[in-house]
Amino acid sequence: MSIEKEAAAFLEVKHLAFSIRGAPILNGISFAVKAGETVGIIGPNGSGKTTLFNCLSGFNRVPTGVLFFRGEDIGPLGPSQRALKGVGRVFQNPGIFREMTLLENMITALEGRQPLLSTFFPWSSTHAANRTEALRYLGEVGLEGKANQKASSLSGGQMRLLEITRTLAFGADLFLLDEPTAGVSPKMKEEVAHLVQQLRTLGKTVLVIEHDIQFIQRFCDRILVLDVGQVVMDGDPKSVRENPRLQEIYFGGQTGAAGQAN
Amino acid sequence: MFEAPLGFFVGFYEVLRSEYALHLCVLLGIYLILAQSFNLVFGVGGLFNLAHVATYAIGAYTTALLSTELNVGVFQCLLASALLSGLLALIIGAISLRLATDYFAIGSLAFSAVVSALLINWRSLTRGVLGIPGIPRPEWGGIDFNGVQNFLYFVIVVTLLCLGAMWILFRSSFARSLKAAAQSDVAAQSLGRDVARLRIWAFFISSAFAGIAGGLFAYYLNYIDPSSFSLTEMVLVLTIVVVGRPGSFWGVAAATLLLVVLLPEGLRFLPLEPSVLGPLRQFLHALLLFIVVYMNRARLFPVERMV
Repeated sequence: MSIEKEAAAFLEVKHLAFSIRGAPILNGISFAVKAGETVGIIGPNGSGKTTLFNCLSGFNRVPTGVLFFRGEDIGPLGPSQRALKGVGRVFQNPGIFREMTLLENMITALEGRQPLLSTFFPWSSTHAANRTEALRYLGEVGLEGKANQKASSLSGGQMRLLEITRTLAFGADLFLLDEPTAGVSPKMKEEVAHLVQQLRTLGKTVLVIEHDIQFIQRFCDRILVLDVGQVVMDGDPKSVRENPRLQEIYFGGQTGAAGQAN
Repeated sequence: MFEAPLGFFVGFYEVLRSEYALHLCVLLGIYLILAQSFNLVFGVGGLFNLAHVATYAIGAYTTALLSTELNVGVFQCLLASALLSGLLALIIGAISLRLATDYFAIGSLAFSAVVSALLINWRSLTRGVLGIPGIPRPEWGGIDFNGVQNFLYFVIVVTLLCLGAMWILFRSSFARSLKAAAQSDVAAQSLGRDVARLRIWAFFISSAFAGIAGGLFAYYLNYIDPSSFSLTEMVLVLTIVVVGRPGSFWGVAAATLLLVVLLPEGLRFLPLEPSVLGPLRQFLHALLLFIVVYMNRARLFPVERMV
């Protein structure tokens, strides 16, 4: 009973509203995510998907609404404090450290929770252990061979892999993936999908923004459809895909117009 | 048979032992600390802090005033210089670090102008453009650093301590966090880094080292005035770091040697009037800065600054 209660409260968003210069972007969004769930978020451009992620990770100050993460109100916390609580953000525009090597990228993540003095000196044992650990993480996504290359030398898909792995190494429990396959080659898309599935087997909770519903329905338990800053549909991938309203939202007002677009 | 090369080496040795060579070494030590500390905040931290020479000035004036007016000992003077310069940096940082990248540069430039104006106009304290003369060379534990040679030993020890500390700092997890924040502010925050606090610390440490360099400078010249801390000086420090590759410890060390010693001394051998040499040197600095910036424009001015 208590486990179930905790699971239900892993992430709870209530009446979240946000506007930029008076223009409302989110209009009182409410939803809850259980621990270990993989939830896809779709919706047309401008429906507030990225803004929602910015509100969850703390980059947008939330004027109204409540955010509970593991039963704790994280509304007043800034982005770095939320990250330390376990909220992991992976950006649409890859947030890798381009001029650092892949190894340094990973070590930076591993150091995130360690006390400064234990990692400060280059000859410390923690630093040596972090190097080994960083290489292990890179090996798991097949980037071990590029460990000493600058991150800017990676392809778009490899950057995504690096950033997701980095977030995992930092110790995030909730992953907010913002279009992890945008501009990624079909082959790498599979690798990213594989990594997301791995997160799932590790028991991580994942929220993923994605346009390609065919693609995400393979690994999502649930899909939320956003339109004009509200959750308009919430259900399992099959029911959402078959819902005629989805066509309406993506291809404009009337079903006739949707038919033309198809 | 060996006379000719021997003569050369003896001559070389004589030059090295000459007062002038010692002067160059002292200058090199001071600029190594000044440039490397700017490298920490600009090269590693990506903060375009144009008030760096202003904090150097605060360090110089602190040591000058404490040693002339209050007869304070050398280590207390240098410590006070470091702390006061750091304190100024905290004030500048608390206000300007709220500004985004380019605006931070403008904010720090404004502060540097305020410091210049204070040095010139707060006459009761700084004697304005007359400067502060008669700064005594330090003395410690019966060792008198009055002669240039003894003073050089003192500078070497202080420089090695400062550079050693910065060398460790450049390889520390602190520098990694700072570098990460410079490349992606939001990603660093997503890895739990309090970016604002990180930058304030970098700013404080970098300025404290600049303060120590300023203290050494005041001790060495025995006289300081506001003209030593002009914007031209800031441009020289910036040129050193850009030419040496921002963030690279050894690159900046080599660039300091090149721009403070080798280039000006090399120019001396040209058959030119002194009135031409000065401007020529500045022209070459500008040219060098332009070439290096042009070659590295993609890295020095990253295009992406988005969430």
